[in-house]
Amino acid sequence: MSARLGSGLSLGLGWEGLIVWGVALHRRPGTLVGQHLASGWEARRGLNISEGGLSLGSRASGGERLVMRAHRGKGEDRGHGWGGIWLVDGGTRRRRGWGVVHHRHREGRGLSSGLEARALLGKLEYQRGNVEGALRVFDGIDLQAAIQRLQPSLAEKPPSKKGRNRTESQHAVSQHAASLVLEAIYLKAKSLQKLGRLTEAAQECKSVLDAVEKIFQQGILDVEVDNKLQEIVSHAVELLPELWKQAGCHHEAISAYRRALLSLWNLENDCCTRIQKEFAVFLLYSGVEAGPPSLGVQIDSSYVPRNNLEEAILLLMILLRKFHLCKANWDPSVMEHLTFALSICNQTSVLAKQVEEIMPGVYHRVDRWNSLALCYSGAGQNKAALNLLRKSLHKHERPDDLMALLLAAKICSEDSYLAAEGVGYAQRAITNAEQHADHLKGVGLHMLGLCFGKQAKVCSSDSERSRFQSEALKSLDGAIALEHKNSDLIFDLGVRYAEHRNLNAALRCAKQFIDETGGSVIKGWRLLALILSAQQRFSESEIVTDAALDETAKWDQGPLLRLKAKLKISQSLPMDAIEMYRYLLALVQAQRKSFGPFRVNPQVDDNKVNEFEVWHGLANLYSSLSHWKDAEICLGKARQLKQYTAETLHTEGKNSKSLDYFIEF
Amino acid sequence: MSDHTTAELTVSDATATATSANPSQSDSFSKVRKAIQSLSTILPSIPPSLSSSSNPSFSLLHDPEISTHISALLRRSSAGAGDDNLCRWLYEAFQSGDPGLHLVVLRYIPLLAGAYLSRATLRRPLAGFEAVLLALYAHETTSRAGQPVTVNVPDVFLPSLYHEPTSPAKSNSTTLNLAVVSPTLEPHGTVRATRRARIVGVALELYFGKINEMPKSSKIDFCEFCTVWAGDRDGHHNLRSDPSQVGDTDGGDEVELGTHIPLPWELLQPILRILGHCVMGRWANDKEVFDAAKEACRSLHVRAMHDINAKAILATESLIRLGNNMCFEMELPNGNGCVDPHEIPTTNVITLN
Repeated sequence: MSARLGSGLSLGLGWEGLIVWGVALHRRPGTLVGQHLASGWEARRGLNISEGGLSLGSRASGGERLVMRAHRGKGEDRGHGWGGIWLVDGGTRRRRGWGVVHHRHREGRGLSSGLEARALLGKLEYQRGNVEGALRVFDGIDLQAAIQRLQPSLAEKPPSKKGRNRTESQHAVSQHAASLVLEAIYLKAKSLQKLGRLTEAAQECKSVLDAVEKIFQQGILDVEVDNKLQEIVSHAVELLPELWKQAGCHHEAISAYRRALLSLWNLENDCCTRIQKEFAVFLLYSGVEAGPPSLGVQIDSSYVPRNNLEEAILLLMILLRKFHLCKANWDPSVMEHLTFALSICNQTSVLAKQVEEIMPGVYHRVDRWNSLALCYSGAGQNKAALNLLRKSLHKHERPDDLMALLLAAKICSEDSYLAAEGVGYAQRAITNAEQHADHLKGVGLHMLGLCFGKQAKVCSSDSERSRFQSEALKSLDGAIALEHKNSDLIFDLGVRYAEHRNLNAALRCAKQFIDETGGSVIKGWRLLALILSAQQRFSESEIVTDAALDETAKWDQGPLLRLKAKLKISQSLPMDAIEMYRYLLALVQAQRKSFGPFRVNPQVDDNKVNEFEVWHGLANLYSSLSHWKDAEICLGKARQLKQYTAETLHTEGKNSKSLDYFIEF
Repeated sequence: MSDHTTAELTVSDATATATSANPSQSDSFSKVRKAIQSLSTILPSIPPSLSSSSNPSFSLLHDPEISTHISALLRRSSAGAGDDNLCRWLYEAFQSGDPGLHLVVLRYIPLLAGAYLSRATLRRPLAGFEAVLLALYAHETTSRAGQPVTVNVPDVFLPSLYHEPTSPAKSNSTTLNLAVVSPTLEPHGTVRATRRARIVGVALELYFGKINEMPKSSKIDFCEFCTVWAGDRDGHHNLRSDPSQVGDTDGGDEVELGTHIPLPWELLQPILRILGHCVMGRWANDKEVFDAAKEACRSLHVRAMHDINAKAILATESLIRLGNNMCFEMELPNGNGCVDPHEIPTTNVITLN
């Protein structure tokens, strides 16, 4: 068949049945394709060599070399027709309208024309959407044999400076053949994918990469590879893990991802970014534990992730770094994934650092402040969080943001000296909730009650105190009418009642709290026991404490044992109390020896019993029993832990006074 | 295709189809048969296909009839007592140590944990449920030797497997941030109330580890329970007719269940990880699971706001935003984002040498 192309350029194609699609090929008048190419080719080659040299040798280029050892040069360096084969320019898509056929001499080609023809035909069928037809054509080609034939010709050493032209043309030709074969295999994989034969598709796709690895044993470098071949390689690298995922072979997918990111494929920045993101997403959410990368790829002194979360967080942070260095386009979902990952592992302080590093203009400043406030508050740095919230709630910023108001009120409610400020936030939150989100009104009232309660503690006058206390109770009552199942609210109301000496109401709340939480919260048990003891019902209080001890694991029993010891003292059972202190002491000492940072129980952390307290309690107990020697020993132990404290000095003074008294008589 | 490829294909196909096949295949086979036999005494009927199946544990995991029966039993208000035969079966199936049966037990963890947590506050004995949960907890404790799961949050200014920064680390703060994802596990012989959340949390961690092998209905069950646990006010009225409502199938002691159970972090964290999978599990491409998970995230976000729990607000908010993006992607015609990045560009250029 002879196809008439553009301005009279005519080709004799040695096979039948090939349809040249989009044959309305026009050439821009006056452009000499060959010359144009030739000059461009020389120029580009020089550039690339120098870049390759830089990236290979010293890394004095100033810019940071991120992620891919294979990654050199900028994305736009490819997509041009260097190598003289591919003219259509990725950067100027408008030129797609006119096509060019570039003819080269056929000498030295590694493939038969029949194979080449079939490969092209398969591609045509594929692009026409006839996937089955394409597959039939591809099946008829012995692609593996073709690759075998390609290997020796391509596995030559990189061209030396002398006689460069000859080896180059050799290269270009063989590369053309290689890209033709590899494209055929790649399209075969795509066809299989479209037909739902995913495992086969993945195998085919993998064979593209295996072939490339065999051909380019040193990895792909810019100088060696033509654009077309590079494009196919990049596609295959990116497609392979997708195929394994779709086929449900998760571990193969993981190794395909790692192979993509750790081998030298010379990927474009965008492509590499996509692969990194997809891999991070897979690691975060698939639930498939990847296991650490093999030792072969590990490099000395560099960080190697040991589990999914570490690897995902590392990749996401690298991506963010790329965004900051403008090496990739901003993708908001990366930040969302990182937010999720870091909050899952309680590292919101690290997240805060990442949020701070985001370039200005990406997020609105108020959004940034609010996210930062959440991060700091999540990490327990409430002061920093409150400072940010003050900025974002300023009247010129976003004074009505409900989340910010509630968070600010909550932070203030934990500090007596901030409580007055918190009252303001809570009141604003309530007004806002009434207008926009009714269901949060109860939360606002809850915070208001807490802030009033805290404020009552630092009042200068009795009348003010009782006013704040009744305000607190009123707000909490209002809140409980809206959220009668909220256990935290019930607890706080109970505490407020107890402080108000309304012990019956407090008792009711404490019981309800235990019911609502199924006894799963230690502080609920303690509140109940304390209220009962405040009512002088010591034996009942002890029963509650015992029940609580039953529901608590040994390690967490400290606060309850201390409570029980004090109950025994109140019941004038000092010997029993000493017994309790002895248990407590054993527990505290065992904890000191075996508590790492990993044995955390937030329920106990707030109210940890320390050893000093136990010794001091024991000293008091012994001195009340006039066991002066024992008291002295206990005080000595306490002093070893804390040398100067008011408590020990007080007890010591009491002891010596009593001793003197005894000696006098 | 060359012989080489064909050989590769057949080998990999064989390994793919026989994932459950291990050296002690006949042993596992007999364990599963035995389990099916004892299950037939508990369920009203067992599909005959099950006993003739070549991969019985796989069929047991995915058979819709079986799951309907077991789910109905677990949803009974009397379920979970010490003499509950189904719980005994689940316990024994897990203790058999067969990986296939492990999956079957894990498949029902959402329902079991859901029913358990919703009812734990009612102070009714739930020894059956607890036995299963403790078996899972003990399994994890032994396989981890009680060790915590930690994460070293990397510093991007230091070189890693995937990158080499050229600018040296400026700060001296090169210490890694050590994060505890799952704390030390202590052995527990009984479920003490204060450790309940942790024990259920560990069961959910195990579930997450196998989540990609779980059938769709199991994930949907889980998402629905999350909505219930969050005690969502807006969706509250729907819950009465909701299939996840426990305790109303038996009539009798119908209780309003599942409103606002305590959600401490040790429970919330594995819940969020599972929901993350359900929202982002694009490879499963399952709209039903996705919708249920999005709803659960929304409820948990409301709950996090009510509790003013900063970490939970951050995590749920990002899941919701990611879910919204996914929605957008799913609505597009090819279901996989706008352009397939793996497609070779169609051009009208022929290149010949």
